[in-house]
Amino acid sequence: METTQKKKRILVVDDSESIRELIAIGLELQGYEIIRGVNGEDGFKQLQEHSDCNLVITDMNMPVMDGLSFLKKIRSESSYRFLPVLIITSEVMETKRREAREAGATGWITKPFANQQLYTVIKRLLN
Amino acid sequence: MEELKHTYLEEANELLASLEKALLSLEQNPHDKELIEEVFRVMHTLKGNSSMFGFPLIAELVHDLETIYDLIRQNLFSLSRDVLNCTLAALDHLRAIVYDTEIQDSNNKIRHAKLRADIGTLLGSQQTSTQQHIEQAHAPVEQELKTVYISFEASPQIFQNGTNPLFLIAELSELGKMSAVPTISDECNDEDADFEKCYTTWSIILETTSPISAIEDVFVFVDPASKLSVSEICKAPILQRKDVAELIESHNTLDKRLEFDDISSLVNVNVKVLPNEASNPQKTGAQEVKLKTDRSTSSIRVASDKLNELMNLVSELVTTQAGLSLYVTNNKIADLEAITENVEKLSRRLRDTAFGMTLVPINHMFGRFQRMVRDIADKLGKEVEFVTEGGETELDKTIIETLTDPLMHILRNSLDHGLEVAEERVSKGKRPAGKVLLKAFYSGVHVYIQIIDDGKGLDKEAILSKAIEKGLIREGDVLSEKEIFDLIFAPGFSTAKAVTDVSGRGVGMDVVKRNITDLKGVITIDSKKDEGTTLSIRLPLTLSIIDGLLVSISDTFYIIPLTVITKCYAVKNSLLVNQFNQLIELDGRQVPFLHLREQFQYDVAEFGESQMIVVNNGEREVGVSVDTIIGEYQAVVKPLGKYYRKQDFASGASILGDGTIALVLDTAKLIELHQQQLNEKKTIDYV
Repeated sequence: METTQKKKRILVVDDSESIRELIAIGLELQGYEIIRGVNGEDGFKQLQEHSDCNLVITDMNMPVMDGLSFLKKIRSESSYRFLPVLIITSEVMETKRREAREAGATGWITKPFANQQLYTVIKRLLN
Repeated sequence: MEELKHTYLEEANELLASLEKALLSLEQNPHDKELIEEVFRVMHTLKGNSSMFGFPLIAELVHDLETIYDLIRQNLFSLSRDVLNCTLAALDHLRAIVYDTEIQDSNNKIRHAKLRADIGTLLGSQQTSTQQHIEQAHAPVEQELKTVYISFEASPQIFQNGTNPLFLIAELSELGKMSAVPTISDECNDEDADFEKCYTTWSIILETTSPISAIEDVFVFVDPASKLSVSEICKAPILQRKDVAELIESHNTLDKRLEFDDISSLVNVNVKVLPNEASNPQKTGAQEVKLKTDRSTSSIRVASDKLNELMNLVSELVTTQAGLSLYVTNNKIADLEAITENVEKLSRRLRDTAFGMTLVPINHMFGRFQRMVRDIADKLGKEVEFVTEGGETELDKTIIETLTDPLMHILRNSLDHGLEVAEERVSKGKRPAGKVLLKAFYSGVHVYIQIIDDGKGLDKEAILSKAIEKGLIREGDVLSEKEIFDLIFAPGFSTAKAVTDVSGRGVGMDVVKRNITDLKGVITIDSKKDEGTTLSIRLPLTLSIIDGLLVSISDTFYIIPLTVITKCYAVKNSLLVNQFNQLIELDGRQVPFLHLREQFQYDVAEFGESQMIVVNNGEREVGVSVDTIIGEYQAVVKPLGKYYRKQDFASGASILGDGTIALVLDTAKLIELHQQQLNEKKTIDYV
């Protein structure tokens, strides 16, 4: 990433602090700017405050507002219709994945994943 | 990374605590759907976290548990007592192995193996299938090189998912050597073409060693309206072949779609068409998980030593501010006075805020008791209904920590000695299940914690004979009911007839009392035969800063906590000396008093006036005489040095604004001390 270029901004939403930080710190080291959210509701608030986010990474299973509702909420706003949303989940059930896809998820990564895996996907999504 | 692991641990412990809470409530209401979801959700998070941090052993165990609860929530499995016991055992085990993630400790190893076997038995045949599933997911199968044809017709709405189909194609190219033929549909050239829509389809030829599922995985995110088909052309690379290259080239220039048949007829091998599951979406009735909102207040974690540092600084600030106030009063600088008042106001608010931060709801501790009561009752074969009230009451964190053991002990006693077995209860006309109520509530500046059981109550005769046997009292001593009950707090007293597994652990109620006294708390007991026993613990809200009354005797300063003071009077010194019964008439009432000058061995004057401070000592009021009252004072209580440690009557010391030291008086202890001295005197007199 060139230094002159504006840093790409990624919103990381996970209720579990350890996972959130694991992802966030790793991405920060990769040169991204990270916004953090603790659940869907908070995530959406963050998204509105930092509307120039380039990518959203969210957990599925969260209190207050889960990843799926969060995703639906993002897609219901016309300005976020094309915003890539990456779902992080340890769910292996196909039905859940389908639900996420139908709600407009750009992709997901199954836990556990190696950070490198995540970076490749993100790089691809953000070009 | 280390720090993250630390966060992981903290989170794991929190998760386990909430899991335990949920499981125990689940035991009460085994059909509560929301609780099962909650249990499932917590396990799920724990599994995810553990696997992310590279603790597969923990993740596997939790996964197995999760499988059970997944089956339960789908009504495919019944939530039996066995299941709960097994889950709780696993929970305890998890508590241990989060610190031993590799499971190297031999005890952990044995328990781990046993638990997995137990869970396996519970799950029966289900187990094997889930295991296979995991293994499949973890081990990508290496396959021979083959060439596949991929047709990808992106749905026009594909962009709305945030998907860029070009990235997908790029991702495909990482799987092997690839050649792609994109085709743009005619609609794109129409005038009303929508630029938010995708009009392109791709035909791709890929040489890869990855399985077809890996290819489908690339497209796993695309919306269901897109069509994907992956078919194997042959088991050999073909892109090098000249005829293939020509075919692709011609299609590319003509912008003509490359069909599977085109290439397959050219290569001429067997065909296998795999239907893409994305093209036949099935609506399933998967329920949306309702999530509880109890964690909605966002919070951050702060290391407790940082908080302690903050408290120390606030304490210092309060002391310094007192110095400033004193200086201003002494020097009468009017301008500075207003500022000083403001500083005082601010430091008071800062103090309250800082103290508020160290307060935690008592609920945290109650949760642990639920489990313990359940286990003990199980062991004793008693039926117990355990109810907690006022879990939201907040107390200083250190107080809560110190309080856990004494409370546990009291609860154990209630369960073991207090509650009768079911038959006995029924014969007394009580409900077969005993009830233990643990409740906490605020009252003034104190927090009360009560443990109330409806058991058989304390046996006065038994206590008396035991006390005589132990030499705590003499035969023929007349004791009030309260005094009899208080005997159980005496050192060396234990009514347990046999040392049982449950209560008799060598810790008596005297230790309980000492622990609570150390916290500046008071414990009282009340009991009625066959109706039950109530133990009340009164605790101060916080330990380190108190509002007190600054007084002086001779040239020494003392602080009496405002909370115990009811009223102050000016009295003539002549009334205090040479008293036979140590009583003084105040507002028409006879009040016993303590002459502090005499107590502290100063000269006793017969003339002049003293201040009589009436303090609340348990049920009765007692007067305490001092020379002068200086005023209200916000005292930062510091522990005393080793020379004063044995002096119970001083609960601490505080540094005044001018640097002098004032002792904080514990009036209850002072009065107790005086009574002891009186008793000794009496005995000597009789001799």
